[in-house]
Amino acid sequence: MKLQHYLGGLEGLDPISLETRVFVEAWEERIFGIHTAMMALSPQLDLEATPSTFNTVWTWADLRKGAESMHPFDYFKFRYYEKWLGGISGYFVSKGYITQAELDARTKAFLSSPHAMPKRGDAEVDARVQKYLLIGDDPKRDRPTPPRFAAGDTIRVANPKSVDHTRLPGHLRNKVGAIDSVYPDAYTYLCDTGPDGIGKAMPVYCVKFDPEALWPGNTEKNFTFYADLFEAYLEPAAAS
Amino acid sequence: MERFEYPNDREAVNAARARALEALLIEKGVITSDTVDKIMSIFATEMGPFNGAKLVARAWVDPAFKNLLAEDTMAAVEEMGFATKGAGAEGEHMRAAINTPGVHNLIICTLCSCYPWPVLGLPPYWYKDPSFRARAAREPRKVLGEFGLNIDPGKEIKTWDSSAQIRWFVVPERPAGTDGFSEEQLAALVTPEAMMGVAIVKPPGI
Repeated sequence: MKLQHYLGGLEGLDPISLETRVFVEAWEERIFGIHTAMMALSPQLDLEATPSTFNTVWTWADLRKGAESMHPFDYFKFRYYEKWLGGISGYFVSKGYITQAELDARTKAFLSSPHAMPKRGDAEVDARVQKYLLIGDDPKRDRPTPPRFAAGDTIRVANPKSVDHTRLPGHLRNKVGAIDSVYPDAYTYLCDTGPDGIGKAMPVYCVKFDPEALWPGNTEKNFTFYADLFEAYLEPAAAS
Repeated sequence: MERFEYPNDREAVNAARARALEALLIEKGVITSDTVDKIMSIFATEMGPFNGAKLVARAWVDPAFKNLLAEDTMAAVEEMGFATKGAGAEGEHMRAAINTPGVHNLIICTLCSCYPWPVLGLPPYWYKDPSFRARAAREPRKVLGEFGLNIDPGKEIKTWDSSAQIRWFVVPERPAGTDGFSEEQLAALVTPEAMMGVAIVKPPGI
């Protein structure tokens, strides 16, 4: 069980932050941009090859694997983009694009004096990044099988083995809900999550939950909770 | 305990490390010296809450468009002529949750920070903060109260957790005092927070 999967409903936390800025420190937009460029240049996408030396897969799932593998206290200790900075730096080191010694030395140099940034690069790289942003990476596919459930059906959420990445919110595991709607077609996921069950094209459902079933006696009235869930996460309610 | 302490130079080191990483990636040919700036300029001009505000304003003046937005969100988005057309990263499949006199909608992502980039741009800090993600799931009225929004107990709250590949946004209700307003005037009233459900659109001048 990973605390990172179980945030929904957690008690005892702080008042809500009312900080509306996206980036609370100037450097945060640089790591956001690097992550977005990595997704755009990732070789599994059906986009034109460029002179970029980036040749390993990077998707949201890879970023999330890093965040979900953290010590849970560190997950709460570090700000959102601090986790990105750690995860993305570690990825470039582990894949051999840079060494930890290079990164540490350059960090030290930038800390002591404001060195200029290098100026170089091929415009084809940036053209691909722009194209990715504007067209995205469509996960929709034809349905390999008809949907197992229909609107109105009662389902129980599965409780698969906890792995390095999931799209199943922990607070919904083992809970009973009702299919609110069945999304058209089927959806792939960015990676195969193994025993967790997603990756290949499958139907996706909008599932409705009574918050009283999620947090008995400890939630609010006149309130309905909805989640979009892949079919692999759902079982007929009667089966349990 | 060291785990709970931050070094005094926390932000200076973060800033230097981010800059060092970007410099090395440019030198190694992974990205170019313009890549990050170009990405940020797309979010400033082509993918942002200015698009969502135009969708909301169109829905307020055109009931058929509002119905389309509710029933087939991507078809409605495609009609707007955005640079992302009926797609865009993190917005290939979006759904609009329409506020009504009886229902107030709230979008969240309990697992992380899923957000409809083409129409809302990038998520504000509060949306990504663990306190919001945890608390909005279980006690939305209390959370909205902290944003200064008190929802009538008789009004249903629907919370939409973005846990698969669908990205959600809220269409707030049109405020009073806007009869005769153009779409452009209406769009200027719409905030990102209203399109996430933690605010309503206030009448002009309030």
